[in-house]
This record gives sequence, structure tokens and C-alpha cells, in this order.
Amino acid sequence: MSNLLSINGLSVEFATTRGNLRAVKDVSLNIEQGESIGIVGESGSGKSVLSRAAMGILHGGNVHKSGSVIFDGNDLFSLSPEDLRNFWGTGMAMIFQDPMTSLNPVRRIGTQISEALRIRQGMSKADAMAKSVEMLRLVRVPDAEATLKKYPFQLSGGMRQRVMIAIALACDPKLLFADEPTTALDVTVQAQILELLDDLRKSLNMSMVLVTHDLGVVAGHTDRVIVMYAGEIVESAKTADLFANMRMPYTEALFKSIPTLDTPTGTRLPTIEGRVPDPTQKDPGCLFSSRCAYVQEKCKNEHPPLMAENDGHLYRCWFPIQVRSNQ
Amino acid sequence: MRNRNLSIGVLLSAAWLFILLFFALFGPLLPIPDTLFSFEDSLSVGVFSPGHILGTDSNGYDMFAQLVEGSRYSLLIAGISVIVGTVVGSIFGILAAFKRGIFDRIANALFSVVLSIPNLLLSITLIAVFGSSPDPSNPVPPSRRLIVVIVSLTIVIIPIIGRIARSTAMSWSSRDFVTAARSMGMTDRQIIVRHIVPNVLPALLAIAFLAIGVVIVAEGSLSLLGAGIGEKTTWGSMIARGRAEIEYYPHILFVPIAAVAFTVIACNRLGDEVRRSLDPREARL
Repeated sequence: MSNLLSINGLSVEFATTRGNLRAVKDVSLNIEQGESIGIVGESGSGKSVLSRAAMGILHGGNVHKSGSVIFDGNDLFSLSPEDLRNFWGTGMAMIFQDPMTSLNPVRRIGTQISEALRIRQGMSKADAMAKSVEMLRLVRVPDAEATLKKYPFQLSGGMRQRVMIAIALACDPKLLFADEPTTALDVTVQAQILELLDDLRKSLNMSMVLVTHDLGVVAGHTDRVIVMYAGEIVESAKTADLFANMRMPYTEALFKSIPTLDTPTGTRLPTIEGRVPDPTQKDPGCLFSSRCAYVQEKCKNEHPPLMAENDGHLYRCWFPIQVRSNQ
Repeated sequence: MRNRNLSIGVLLSAAWLFILLFFALFGPLLPIPDTLFSFEDSLSVGVFSPGHILGTDSNGYDMFAQLVEGSRYSLLIAGISVIVGTVVGSIFGILAAFKRGIFDRIANALFSVVLSIPNLLLSITLIAVFGSSPDPSNPVPPSRRLIVVIVSLTIVIIPIIGRIARSTAMSWSSRDFVTAARSMGMTDRQIIVRHIVPNVLPALLAIAFLAIGVVIVAEGSLSLLGAGIGEKTTWGSMIARGRAEIEYYPHILFVPIAAVAFTVIACNRLGDEVRRSLDPREARL
């Protein structure tokens, strides 16, 4: 077992005026060296909170975390803030969803890439700038030298996201969290960025956690997919296995709501009716029961545990969809 | 780098402040009559009189000489209190926004308390307590009075700047790039210096320039109420004296008022310009 990151029973609650908001509930998962994992779920499913909590950057007086996160043999929750900081950038790095807001608007690109190198690796200004050019070339930004002197607003969204990737990779992290890296980009750029991340991950032997709401995005770029719903893992399997044998009705519903080219024009795109349950309320039954097409009495009263199949396929459902039986 | 033309307004504002600064610094070296020399044969002559370009007041004191001396003290008071107030206010405001929690609550409460007291009342109280003496035969030294006036105006500036620094810094510190910087292992201090301050600074400088105008006016109000720096002439004290004679010799009042007005307008205009030129997004538009 070469687990780079293992999350055990991680729960995250936010104290709010309406009570405790349970954003992540008892999540356990392992990430191996060089592995690429997709975390999928709709808005409010806790996927961003999970990735931030795993990295340890979630902080504030109203955050309550339990469980443990072990990175490279170190329990992150027991580290002091100073020690924890040593893992950021060099051990783990994160790319954020919106490249429009994740770069400082009043500072030049070169300064922003090189500052991590100067602070974390003690490089001289000249060395850091040289490395920055190298990083920009690595993420395939054309005319890297000129880009160093530009401000973020002079770059397109795709270019900014490349710059963000360059910053995140500058200190050679072992694990990269990509929190919806392509959501703010248009589809053609999205494909390029995913391709780039994939290439970089393979060439640098890095692990990656790709957080997205788009099953289509994870399909081609991950080894394993974790589906989250209302803060829980509801299904987890190897990517190919998941797409072939969905067990959880939620995964199926997500999958069905991807538009495809072969449905006739005028067909209504299936949606999942209703909304994610209020995370401040505790529900006795399956959290998806109010929206599930196959709901039964048991689903409303008993919370299903995470059940495992032989090949490591996990799902949280009393009445899992059988292999291609009811489609 | 920047090829944007400065507007006439900006140039005029800069020129006005430059001239003021020149007279304030080198006034005593220039051939200007003493402020307390009374031209007894030309009392209350109007503007552009021979020998008295801005006229004289009813004591026969040269208005131009008074204006120059007034600029020394008005600018000194405004400059020091705005610089100190801005630095202190920004530090508290930015730290409050960044640290949140108890520090933020205390800082914010202090700002609110000071802001809730009318500025003039606060200044007058401070001056009455620390800058005046109950014994007429043993008055406080003028330098102490000057310091008390400056400190009292600084105390007025701190919460104004502090509030704005806090709210601006708060909106910037919740941006993704701050989280991104943290996730790259930067310390809070590095994040504040490198990411928050450059974004907050333009707004603060613009407000600081505005505050110069506010302080000049506030100092004038204090003088008008007899709580100014006392012995030396300031623009405020000129206005206070000229007030009595507005019906007969309006120029005695209007000359210092015009000086205050031009200075306030110039400061505002320049503050705007500074903000724009510091912001790369606006500078290149």
C-alpha cells in the first residue's frame, strides 16, 4: 500500500445561526501515489469542502472537523499551523474553480508565480523568474517571457487557468487538488486544460483529485470516481466500472442528465427533481430518498451504510440498480 | 509605460498643491511682509491693491502674508494627522479584517465609538482637557497646543480610514487568490503584505487625500470656535476673524475660504488620480 493521502472518517461541520451545517459526513478514502481520483456531485454536495478540509486550508472559528487526514505519514489535524504550512505548495497544492478571482488583479503574472518559489524554496529573484518561464512553458502558455510582465486582466480565462496550474505546480507538489478547474471555462478550453492536467500528472508522477460536477469530465481523466451526495460518499468505483455498473440511483440520475448528441432534437433533458436536503437537518432515511425514482418505504426510515462489492465498488443504497437489469 | 494624458484638472490641482507647498516651506525666506506688521495707512484695502496683492484686513495686516503663514500651519496639521491617521487606521483595519474574531470586534467597537462622537466635539474636548490651562497667567505652551490639535484630528481620522481599510480588506481577503496563496504555504503576514495591501492601498490613498481636505476644514472649524492652535495664523483663524466683517470687507473672509476650497478640490482630484494610476486595471483602460 502506497497511500499518499488517507482520509478516515472525516466530518466537517459549520456552526451557523440555523444550527450545525454538516457539510461532509464520515468520509473515508485513500489516494495512492500517481493516482487520479474524481470527486463528483452537484452543488452543495460537499465536494469542495472535502477537498479543502483534506488539504487543511479550511479554517475559522465556526469550522468543526473530526476524523483524520494522513498525508505521507503525517496526521495533518495534529500539526501546528506552521508545520502544516510546510506541506502546502510542496506537498499538496490546489487549483481553484474561477481563474478570474484566483489571481491577484494588481500584481504581475511573473511576480505571482515566482513568489511561491522565492518563499518556499528560497530562490533568488532571477532564478525564480527563470523557473517561472519554465513553468509557463510547461503549461503551454505561448510567449512565456512576455506573459510574465502581464497583469491577470490581460489574459483570457484559459490562459489564467494555465497560470494557476503553473503556480500550483511550481513547488513540485505530490498531490494536486483541482477544484472544478474547468467550470468557468468554455468547452474547447476545458478539454485543453484537462488534457494538460492529465499529461502533467503522468509526466510528474503526481496524484490528482479532480473535483467536478461533470461526470463527463471525470470519465476520461481519472482512475477512480467518488460520487458525493449531501456530504456523503454514495458510490465509489474504478472509473470504467462505475460507468458500466452504476449501483446508486443518484449516479444514474447524474449520468442521465448529461446531454448527448444521439438523442433526438426536442427531447427534454432529464433532470433530478428537487434539491439537496437541508444540511442543517438530520434525516433518518437515505438522504437521496426524497428525489430517488426507485424509492421504497425502507429508504425513508433507515439510513443505508456504505456497502462493498468484491472488487472494491462501494455504494450506499438499499436497493442498488442491478447490472443493466432495469434500463 | 503609461501614455495616458493627465487632464487639465489634475495638472491644475498638482500645480496648486505644489505652489502651496512651496510657500509653506520657503515662506519665511521670501520678501513677504511680517504677518503682524500693521499697514496703518491702508486698512482693509481690497484685493489687487498696490503693494498688497490680496489686500489687507481691518488691522492693516497683509492678507497674502497671513495666507502664507496659514498654509504652513494648515498643511502641517493636515499632513501629519492624515499620514499618522492613515497609517494607524490602515494597520488596525487590515489586521481586524484578516484576523477576525475578538481583535476585529474590539477594533470595530473602538472605531464605532469614536465615529459616534461628533468630530468637533471630540477635538474640542481633547483640546480643552489637554491643550488649555485653567490659569490665564500660566498658559500652555503653543507647541503643546499644536500637538494636541494634531493628535485630536488624528484620532478623528483613524476610525474613518480604519473602517474603510477593514471593509475593503475583508472583501479582498475572502477572494480565492488569498486562499490560493495560503494553499501555496504563504504566511498570513506575507499574504497581507503581498496580496491584501496592494489591493487596498489605492482606495485608502484616495480616502487619505480626501481626508486632507476634511482636516483642513476641521482645523478651520476649531479655529473658528476658538479652539485652534492659538497664536499662529491658520486659514481657519483667518476665516474666524474675517467673519465679522463680511458685510463691509468680504475679501477678508473670501481669501482664506478660497484657499481652503481650492486645496480641498485639488486634494480630491489628485486622490482620484492616484487611485486610478495605482490600479493596473483602470490605468490601462
